[in-house]
Formats: sequence, structure tokens, C-alpha cells
Amino acid sequence: MLCDNIRMIHTMLRAAFTCAILCAMLLAPAHLRAAETGERILLGLIPEENIFTQMKRHRPLAQYMTKKLGLKVEFTILSRYPHIITRFERRKLDGAFFGIFTSVLAEESLSVEPVVRSVGIDGRSTARGVIFVRNKSGLSKIAQLKGKRAAVVDQVTATGYLYLLYHMREKGIRSHPDAFFSQTTLTGSHDSSVYSVLSGQAEVGAAKDRIMAKLAVMDPLVQSELRIIATSEELPDNTLYLRRALPINIKLGIQQILMQMKDDPEGRTILKNYGSSDFIEAKSSDFAPVRKMARESGINVKNFRYDKP
Amino acid sequence: MKSKIITSLFILFSIFLAGSGVTIIYLYNTTSNLRSVIDLHRVEIIRQDLVINAQTVQAHLYSFGTSFGQELDVIVDNVINLDESARKCLSCHHEPDMAQKLNTMVNQVDQYQSALSQLITTSANEERVERMRMVAIGIGTTVLDTVQEMSLIAGQRLNDKSIRSLKEINNSRIILIITLLIAFVIAAGIAVTMTRQVTEPIYELLDATRHIKAGELGYTTHYVATGEFKELVDSFNDMSMTLSQSNTSIMRHLESLANLYTVTLNFHSLTDESEIFRELSYGASDLVGVDQCGLMMLEGDEFVHTYPAVGVDREAARMIRFPLSAIEPLYREHHRAYIRNTDISSSPTGEVDSRLNVRNMMLVWIRQKGRIVGAIRMANKRTGQFMPEDVQPLAILANNVSVAIDNASLYLDLKRRMEELKDTQQQLVQAAKLAAIGEMASNVAHELNNPLTSVLGYAQLIKEEEDPSAIAADILVIEKECHRAKEIIRQLLEFARKRPLFIADVDINAALEYVLNLGRLQIRKQKIDIITDFAPDTMIRGDENQLKQVFVNVVNNAVQAMQSTGTLTVTTEATDDTVTVKVSDTGEGISPEVMEKVFEPFFSTKKEKGTGVGLSVSYKIIKNHNGSIEVSSSPGKGATFTIFIPRETAA
Repeated sequence: MLCDNIRMIHTMLRAAFTCAILCAMLLAPAHLRAAETGERILLGLIPEENIFTQMKRHRPLAQYMTKKLGLKVEFTILSRYPHIITRFERRKLDGAFFGIFTSVLAEESLSVEPVVRSVGIDGRSTARGVIFVRNKSGLSKIAQLKGKRAAVVDQVTATGYLYLLYHMREKGIRSHPDAFFSQTTLTGSHDSSVYSVLSGQAEVGAAKDRIMAKLAVMDPLVQSELRIIATSEELPDNTLYLRRALPINIKLGIQQILMQMKDDPEGRTILKNYGSSDFIEAKSSDFAPVRKMARESGINVKNFRYDKP
Repeated sequence: MKSKIITSLFILFSIFLAGSGVTIIYLYNTTSNLRSVIDLHRVEIIRQDLVINAQTVQAHLYSFGTSFGQELDVIVDNVINLDESARKCLSCHHEPDMAQKLNTMVNQVDQYQSALSQLITTSANEERVERMRMVAIGIGTTVLDTVQEMSLIAGQRLNDKSIRSLKEINNSRIILIITLLIAFVIAAGIAVTMTRQVTEPIYELLDATRHIKAGELGYTTHYVATGEFKELVDSFNDMSMTLSQSNTSIMRHLESLANLYTVTLNFHSLTDESEIFRELSYGASDLVGVDQCGLMMLEGDEFVHTYPAVGVDREAARMIRFPLSAIEPLYREHHRAYIRNTDISSSPTGEVDSRLNVRNMMLVWIRQKGRIVGAIRMANKRTGQFMPEDVQPLAILANNVSVAIDNASLYLDLKRRMEELKDTQQQLVQAAKLAAIGEMASNVAHELNNPLTSVLGYAQLIKEEEDPSAIAADILVIEKECHRAKEIIRQLLEFARKRPLFIADVDINAALEYVLNLGRLQIRKQKIDIITDFAPDTMIRGDENQLKQVFVNVVNNAVQAMQSTGTLTVTTEATDDTVTVKVSDTGEGISPEVMEKVFEPFFSTKKEKGTGVGLSVSYKIIKNHNGSIEVSSSPGKGATFTIFIPRETAA
């Protein structure tokens, strides 16, 4: 009887071991990055405007890169800001276009490195944070905004949140925004932040100047109804980061393709529709002003914790 | 006909064009409707895409929480497809009410995208996120309702369009069939009419050609045609008439040539000028058909009419005389002939012509060695006036007359010269005879002179001598010389005597063997070699003794020609008709001067050894046998006598 039980246990252990080996064999490829399996390059996009507009804008770029690189390149939306870093890991992305502050956070949290940064039609590769109110509100200083409703993009945006915090500290306001404002809404995107103030859901808002300028072109009310009361210095915007572990030929290939787009007629057309004129090389040192802004705003980027759901 | 064909084809083409035009319009409408139907089907596909995309997104919104994972890509893809489908719908041409509905739907899709984007990207508390989700679901439901409503409208239109398209297809089919039927009937009518109009004149012309082929040149068809066929019929009739006229002309020319040939043929056999003039006058008169015709020849400074002529008697002929000075300008001006059909009195020959009641007149020149020597004068053409085509046969006739006159003149000259030659020949023969007799007499006299001289000498000696023995001896010499003279006279008589031939079979080879045996002693004495080469079958019919005498003479002659040694060659050759004997020696040969006289009687180069009669007798015997004897020789290389004897000797 005992022998039978031992034999049965042995049999079960052997079956379990075999199953484990098989599972490991089956699951092992799933843990590999897309680029390592030779299937595709999956790049993330942070939601800084309407995600569908953003995705439509990036699809021609993906097709161009696929054609030139010989490897399928796809984009995916990283949904909400709080989840960007975790989603990057979960979706096993090979890289992502990060915003200003998310670039700094990604560099600290993920094993990624900056590759290129887009240059706008206006020749700028940077953006500035703006704090705006409605024209008719009579508000013009940050101190006047105490107890008002604020619409910010997200805690991990430099232009949509960090600059507001920095500006408050700069103006001697040490309070947390949640304490200073009666309501702080994380709108999730810059255009939502703009439209929150324009629609009266908030009295003050923070957003990226380039997004606001784009909205002003499409909607004259943005130009006529809103007033900017503070503007940050130029900050490196929309930077493509790639995983350090990505094969060097792929990394260099992507960098070369994007930086040489302006020399190719097809590339120029795609760049124009993308809203850029060029891609330039990006370096980690470009983000020194952001790190300084975070530091002086009391944010430790190494141990950054998202305090909102 | 051409205009009828063009008109018919134009009508046919117009019917086809009209039918095709109507059919094309129907087909265009039909295809447009079908295109609309297809477009509506495409819209339906798009609508289904819209519904599927919207339903997929809605399902995700219902089933998932606020934390979007991998399904976010599905939502994004579906919403973008939804947006693209909606905008594709809007980009097509639509009626205003439908365009408005599509605009509404696109706006709804935009709102749906905004609501979804906000829901996906906003970090807020659950209550707010749930509120945003309900807003998005609500807009999605509205989009689905709008799509459904549009689907119903599109379905109704699809049905309407399909019915209309089928109706138009049916109409276009009927129109096409009617067009084809009408075109077929009209084409058949045109074909029958045209065939009849084309074949009738062709058959008429075919019948006419059969008549012409059968020899009815000039046959014309009386078929009444119009247009091009009238021209064709007229042209055919003209052609037939022209053929007939050409044929008549050709026949006339042939007849003229035949007459010309008949007239000219006689000229070449005539040697008398008066006969030539007669033949010319009658021949030319028949050839052209004139009342007066005759030949005028240049005599001194005048062209005189030579009688006999047609329509001109001796009296009139004497009257017709034209001075050279009057004719020469006409000859220079009119190269071949001078024709005067009217106003005769003003002609250079008008004076004579007026007296002879001449209505019209033609002079055809006769030339010899580039100069005018005469003219054929013709007057009063029976069928009317003289025509240029009358000149051609008469010019040929004139040339032949010129040649005939020339020939006649040459003939007369030749005849005269032949007679002169004959007289000269007779004189020469007579002289030759006299010379031969003289020569022979000289030879005989010379031969007789020697013995007579001896006799005379010894006779004088006898008168002077006293010794009887000496006288007797002298008398013996005289006797001997007299015998010699007698022998000469005998031989002369023998030569002159005509001996009859005793014809029998003679073997020439055997006769030669006999002769050579007779002379063999003398031959041996002279150490002469004999070579014989006899052909077989040398039998002939002849006088054997006389032939042996010939061979003896020739062989002796050869032996005597060789002073000491030498070679005598005797050969015979035989053909069916003749036996040839050749006797050659290797002596000094015969000089050309001697060879001319070698067969003359009493000619000898052998002094006392011969009388010169042997070869002349041999020549005579061989001639009596109808044969011949020749001698050939080269000085210093001997001589060869060749005797040809016919196998059958005429008696």
C-alpha cells in the first residue's frame, strides 16, 4: 500500500515535472520581446491629445518605418498617464514616444535610452507649459487662483501639471495643488484640460502650448476666450525612447530612418502630415531643465509614486 | 448607282446609329443604376463594418473595467475603422437628406471618439469614470441607431434602383432587337434591289460580248441604263464600233498589203523595163483605185511619161511631160509624195493636168542612189480624194520599182558582158588549139630533123667517098636513120589514131606485177629498190593491154628519172568506185615549167632516149577509161604519178 502510494506520488511528480517543462517551453517565447522574435517593433504613444487622432497621425509613420526597416512597426496607446510605465512593461513594448516628464520618469524606471526627438512645423523640438484662465474671469496671478477649480492633464505631465506645481513654488505657494485649489481634475489629455476651462468646468488649466495653439487654429474660441497667465521655459518634447536591450542595428536603423525622412520626398510628405519637419538626435542631458523643475517642485523622480488612482 | 449605294448605306448606318444610340442611352442608364446598386451594396458593407466596429467597441465598454489592457488596441482599431467608414460614406455623392444623416453620423462618431478618448485617458474616481463610460456607451448606441436607420433607407433605395435597372435592361433589349430587325429588313431590301440593278446591265453586256466574240464586231446593246451603267453601256457600244472600224481598217490594210505583195512579186522576175512599167501601172491603179496611172522617168531635164500606162494612150502619154525645174521644188517640199486634191490648175503640173481633165493627182517619187529618177503619176481617184494613207503602199511600190528598174538594168549589162566573155573564150580556145598544133608540129619537125640531117650528111659523104665499103657503111647509117624517121611518123600516127577499148575484168594489182616483172632486169641493173603496197580487191572493168601500156610508160619514166640507185614505190588504193595507182621515184623531180607540158605529145626531156609520146598516150588511154592522171613533184625529191581508174568504165 505504502509502495503504491510512493509509486503514485512518483508518477504524479514525474507528470508535474513534465508538465512544467512543457509549460516552460510553451510560455518561454511569450516572454520574449516582439523585436527579439523578429515579428514586429511595438512602440507606445502617451495620450497627450485625442488618442484616435494621435493614432491616425502615427499610422503613416509606422507604415513608412516598416517599409524602410523591413520589420513591422506598430503603435499602441498607453492609455492613462499613471499606467504608462507599468503598461510599457506589461505590453512588452520596444520603445515609446514619451512626453517631457514621462521621458525623465522612463529613464529612471525603465531600461530605455533616448533616440530621436521630433521637430515641429514651426522648427521647434521643444514645448512649453502654459497656465491659462478664461478671459472674463478677471484672474491674472497664481495667487488669485486659491480655492478655484483646476484642470490639469496628469501628474506625470511636465506642461500639464509639473509646471503648475513649479510655478506655485516659484511664486511662494508651498501648498499641494489639491489643498490650494478647491478641485483638481486630471483630464488625461491637454485638449481636455483646455476644453475644461473653456467649458467652465474649471477656472484654471495647465497644458502644452503646442496643443493649445493647435486647438486655437481649429477652434477660434480657444484664442478669444482663454488667456495665458504663465509660461515655462522650453522643454524637450515628444522623444522616442527605445529599450537598451534592443539590437543595435534596429536601434540605429530606426534612428537613421527617422533622421533621414526629411531627405526623402515620401518621408517629407509623411512628416508634414505627422505635424513635424524633422527628427533630431535626442540625448538624456536634454532633460536637465525638467529634472531641475521636478527637483525644485519637491518631486524625487527616482522614487516617484503616483498618488492618484 | 454610286449615289444609290451611298444613300442606302447611309440609311442603314443611320438606323444602326439611332438604334445603337438609344441602346447606349439605355445601357448607360442601366449601368449607372447598376453602379448605384453596387455602390449601395458597398454602402451596406460599410454599414456592416460600422455596425461591427461600433458593436465591438460597445461590447468592450460593457465588459471591461476602467483599466484598459491589450483590448485597448482593439478599441482603438475599431473606432478608427468606424471613423474611416463613416467618412468614406460621407465622401460619396448623396442626396441632401442622406448627406445630412451622414453628417450627423460623422459628428456622432467624432463625439464617440472624444468620449472614448476621455474615458480611456482620464484618471478620475470610479464614479466619474463610470459616468464617462455611460456617456460613451450612449453615444455609441446613438451611432448604431443612426446606422440602422440609414440601412433601412439604403435598403429601400437599393430595391428601387434594382427594379428600375431591370426595367431599363429589358427596354434596352427590346430596342436592340427592334433595331436589328428593322436594319435586317432594310438591308435585305437594299441588297435585293442593288443586286438586281447591278446584275441586269452586266448580263446585257455579257450577252453583247458573246455576240462580239462570235464575230459580230460593231454589235451594240440597246439596254436602257442610268447613271454609271449608262456610261458603261455607251462606252461598251463605242468600243464595239471602234473594234469594228479598226477591224475594217486592218482588213483594208491587209488587202492593200496583199495587192502590194502581188504587184511587187512580179517586179523581181521581170527584166524588161516596159513589162515593169505595165505591171506598175496596172498594179498601182488597182492598189489605190485611180483612172490614170503611169510611170514617169527623168530623161535629160524632163520627166516623161513612159508608155504603157493605165488610162493614158500614146497620144496623152506624149503630152505628159514635166520639167525637172517644176518637179524639184515639189520633191524637196514633199518628201515621199505630192498630193493635189483641189485647185489643180494652180499646181506646177496644172497645165498638163487640166488638159487631161484631172480632178486630183498624186506623184510618188522614185529614187535611186539618193536622187529622184522618176515618179509614179496617179490621177482621178475613183473613191474620192487621195489620202495620206495611200502614200504608204505606193512608197513601198516605188521603192520596189526603183530596185526592179535597177535590176533590169543590171541584168541587161550582165547579159551583154556574158556574151562578150563567151566570144573571148572561143577566141582563146582557138588560139590554144593553134598553139598546141604548132607546138606539136615543132616537136615533130625537131624529131624528124635529126634523122633527116644524118641522112643528108651521109648522102653527101657517099658522093665524095670512093671506097665501096665506106659507102656501104654510110648507106647502112642512112637506112637506120630512115627507119628512125619512119618510127617517129608511126608513133605520130599511133597517137592520132583512135583505138577502141576492149573492156574486160582487169586486176590492177596483177597488171602492175606483170609490168614490174618486165622491167625487173633494167631495175636490177640500176640497183633500184622496189617497194610495193597493194590494196586488196582492185578489180575494175577496162582494157587490160592499154592499161598495161600506161603502167609500162609510167614505170619506165620513173626508172629513167633515177640515174643510178633509188627507190621505186608502187601502191594501190581501192574504194567502192575507184582504184588509185601511185608510182613514185626518188629522182631529181620535175620543174614547174616541165610539169605543165609533161602530158603534151612529143614533149621529152630525154633527148635521144624518147619521143615524148608515152605520157601523152597514157593520158589519152586513162581519159578513155573516164579516169585521170596527175603528177606531183618537188625538185630534188622525185615525182609521183597518180592514176585514178573508175571501177566501171563507160564504153
